Amino acid sequence: MIKRFIYSQKVAPYVFILPFVLVFAIFWAYPLLDSFQMSFQKVALGQESSWVGFSNYEKLLSDKVFLKALLNSFAYMLLTLVILIPFPLLFAVLINSKLMWGKEFFKASFFFPALTSVVVAGTIFRLMFGEMEGSLINSFLGLFGIDPVKFLKGQVTGFIALLALATWRWTGVNMLYFLSGLKNIPDDYYEAAAIDGASKLQQFFKITVPLLKPTSIYVVTISIYAGLAMFIESMMLWNGNNSPKNIGLTIVGYLYRQGIEKNNLGYAAAVGIVLLAITMIINVTQLSLSGMFKKEDQSS
Amino acid sequence: MRNESFAKVGLFVLFTVICLIILIPFYAIALASFKPGGDLVRYGLNLSFDLSVMSFNNFVFLFTGSHSYFNWFFNSVFLTIAQVVLTLLISATVAYGFAAYNFRGKNFLFLCVLMIMMVPFEILLLPLYKLTNDFGLMNSYSAIVLPGIANAATIFFFRQYISGIPKEIIAAGRVDGASEYGIYARLIIPVMKPSFAAMAILNGMNSWNNFIWPFMVLSDTSKYTLPIGLKTLLTPYGNNYDLLIVGSFFSIVPILILFLAFQKYFIDGMTAGAVKG
Amino acid sequence: MMKKWLSLGLVLSLVMLLVACSGGNSGSSGGTESVIDGGAGENATELSYWTFVELHGQHFEKMLTKWNAEFPDRQIKLNVSVMPYDDMHNKLSIALQTGVGAPDISDIELGKFPDFLEGTPQLEPLNDVIDPYRDTLVESRINIYSKDGQNYGAPTHVGASVAFYNVEVLKEAGVDYQDIVTWEDFKAAGIKVYEATGKNMGTADTSALWQVSQLLAQQGTDLTDENGTPQVNTPEAIRALEMLKDLQENNVISTIAGGQPDTEEAYGEYNSGNFVSAFMPLWFMSRYVNYMGDLSGKIAIAPIPVLEEGMPASVGGGGTGTVVTKTAKDVQLAKDFLAYAKLTEDANIEIWNTLGFDPVNMGVWDMKDVTHNPDNAFVKYFVNNPFDVLHEIRDEIQMIKSTSASPTINNVLGTITLNEIFEDGRDVTEALNDAQAQIEQELQ
Repeated sequence: MIKRFIYSQKVAPYVFILPFVLVFAIFWAYPLLDSFQMSFQKVALGQESSWVGFSNYEKLLSDKVFLKALLNSFAYMLLTLVILIPFPLLFAVLINSKLMWGKEFFKASFFFPALTSVVVAGTIFRLMFGEMEGSLINSFLGLFGIDPVKFLKGQVTGFIALLALATWRWTGVNMLYFLSGLKNIPDDYYEAAAIDGASKLQQFFKITVPLLKPTSIYVVTISIYAGLAMFIESMMLWNGNNSPKNIGLTIVGYLYRQGIEKNNLGYAAAVGIVLLAITMIINVTQLSLSGMFKKEDQSS
Repeated sequence: MRNESFAKVGLFVLFTVICLIILIPFYAIALASFKPGGDLVRYGLNLSFDLSVMSFNNFVFLFTGSHSYFNWFFNSVFLTIAQVVLTLLISATVAYGFAAYNFRGKNFLFLCVLMIMMVPFEILLLPLYKLTNDFGLMNSYSAIVLPGIANAATIFFFRQYISGIPKEIIAAGRVDGASEYGIYARLIIPVMKPSFAAMAILNGMNSWNNFIWPFMVLSDTSKYTLPIGLKTLLTPYGNNYDLLIVGSFFSIVPILILFLAFQKYFIDGMTAGAVKG
Repeated sequence: MMKKWLSLGLVLSLVMLLVACSGGNSGSSGGTESVIDGGAGENATELSYWTFVELHGQHFEKMLTKWNAEFPDRQIKLNVSVMPYDDMHNKLSIALQTGVGAPDISDIELGKFPDFLEGTPQLEPLNDVIDPYRDTLVESRINIYSKDGQNYGAPTHVGASVAFYNVEVLKEAGVDYQDIVTWEDFKAAGIKVYEATGKNMGTADTSALWQVSQLLAQQGTDLTDENGTPQVNTPEAIRALEMLKDLQENNVISTIAGGQPDTEEAYGEYNSGNFVSAFMPLWFMSRYVNYMGDLSGKIAIAPIPVLEEGMPASVGGGGTGTVVTKTAKDVQLAKDFLAYAKLTEDANIEIWNTLGFDPVNMGVWDMKDVTHNPDNAFVKYFVNNPFDVLHEIRDEIQMIKSTSASPTINNVLGTITLNEIFEDGRDVTEALNDAQAQIEQELQ
């Protein structure tokens, strides 16, 4: 009887998706709701939680360190967008051109840094950007007679190191995204445009860029997430969550500091909720500006 | 035509230069793995090629010394395999449920899949951490593997793939009297095989490099994975830099070999999201 | 057929899960983790020990061998895990709060200790095992690891601050370190050294409070008031930092890679002779011996200069309290071994022999054959004997209060304020006022 029930065509799909429903409920929906709840509580492991209303959020507003973290995460996100969208796009177009030799080799070597774990890549970059005269970057600057720079102690130079790490790891990946987008653009478009006398530059802006829109939207979306949620890169570069003057502190870093290092889970949960709200607002805005909702049928 | 060959050479030179810049960190760490570890932190990681301080000592130490490196290494291998097998099996099953049937609540549930992709995982760290503690799963591998077994991106990818499989296969199976699960297991899974490779690579890479969640969950050093273990070597009071550098270098090697052998799948796996996005 | 496949899949995934849950339990040795058996037999109890200083493990290894020989029916194997400072304290704190995964014995650094005393400490009181040795130990070093009369940590050393001078460079500049009594003398000497060699006399620390604490102790104060409330913008603190800043402006001191002497980058700078002096707790000797081999025979130890003559020249700096956790497998065994390994006279002698620390049993300071043993690696390394200096200052060693606000104070000053002052040249009073406000806000 039971067997008949489970084997019926009506029930089967529920059996198939049951694991997802369980994982979704236990490891996603419940924690997310719990996060909301915790953000209105004072929570510490090993102690009873108590309700505190909006006081966690009120405290956040006047918390200078949190504002610093917010600013850092935003700056990092924007700067990675500025670097990691146009350059990979350009590289993809160039690599895709008929004039390119050794396509596969370059594709592979651009992609390769993405294979290293953040821990290893972060360690390498930490040592490369060391403040000693003999560190890689400083010894390179030395060739031009520039004095050693204390990269990881200054706001701007610290960000240079962070962005170098991000650029190194993600240029190849984003380039591959654009390449796979380019594959979907039929050659006839370019041929037709060439016959009409359009220059390469015109072709790029009139054909490539508009037709790559779905890919671009995808890349921008994941870059926004990755940028705002960045933490381990900073943790590895400064070998811990305490960078001088908090120049490398990010939103997630602050969440970690409050939740894990200070056992102040309620306050940390509020940090998480703020991050969630920000990502939601940015992405909804971004997607509606780029017309994702209106013309969904055209983009697929 | 002359313009064209000029452009060809120009492009090639440009890309070669960029390529060299990209490879510098790898070259630096490879070079460093032949130098005494302490020198690195004191004098910095650089490209000086000085045979008088270079030796195979670090490699000898890596393979014969007394340390936990290979313990971590095999923990990582084990966790990665467990995660990939479970994730693929479960995600494919779920994806089939979404792709092959129409049922009540389907749209809502699929929206849930998309929602998972919309929320940064980091936000869930603390409640998950609390949950793990309540379940008594702290310091266990289950706590690391379980939250990821129904991976949204993987489900999404498989669903697209299964949607491309002709529905006639399913219908034919039903005519032959196969049960719903039999159709999936014997007719669909074999057809899905090519899509497994890309997803195995994607999930495998994520799992191999997974850091923050395992780092929070595991407290027993003998359970550490490679990234966590390597991070613990970064301390001024440990004298572990030899192992850190050669270990970091060596952790790249297996991935490099896999990458060279299965390059196509790596690229397919990594870009799976964007193609249909 | 189909059922077979399904059940196979199910079994497979279950097996994977089970293995996954229990996997990786097979411990291995070395690197960051090692099981020390110290001659223990089959029936030994295995205890786990966490530390952030690899050398501490060596001391325990020595004491373990003696313990196992002396108590054959209570033998122990010690499973030592070395982790980075932040990670070890975070993990320990989590493990203690959740009751899962904590070691039996662990080191906790003085600066982090107050965090572990909050609420109900998840640590075992050690009073009963400390009592037999209490009279022989420096009381204040026990009290810094205590709450409500319960002693939770076994101290390692006094940590008397001293000055380390590179006499080779000083000679080059024609300076005699023994003439340096006040900071004025130090400044004059530093200017001479800089003019003669282009080297900096000392460090302007941005990530640690060693010098600030020393200068405050000389003025009879520290960073908290008598109630334990933070007070970082006092006239004394401003005076201390103004003076250091003046030294920096005169090239007497400058910032060092790593931010303070006790970092790997700084060891390199010292080893290359780029910095001439370090004002650090006595245990910094062990860093010289272990990490700065090139300086052997060139380093002299002396009292730290004072602001005004007659002020106390030293302060106890740093420290590690070793604790037994509430979840320890065998609490009594762990406590007895801990007392044996850290509090007995023999242990205190070994702490000097192996680690080069100034032991908390000051009786050992008077044992000439121990302190002046010509075969001792530390005695050999330094120009003069450290205990000669210790005797000179033994009645002047001040203590810093460790309160629940201390971790926050250390964090704010060590990541923000000192960087602003020494890296960005910010006004001392302004920076300290900001620090005070920041600390108060974080402690709310």
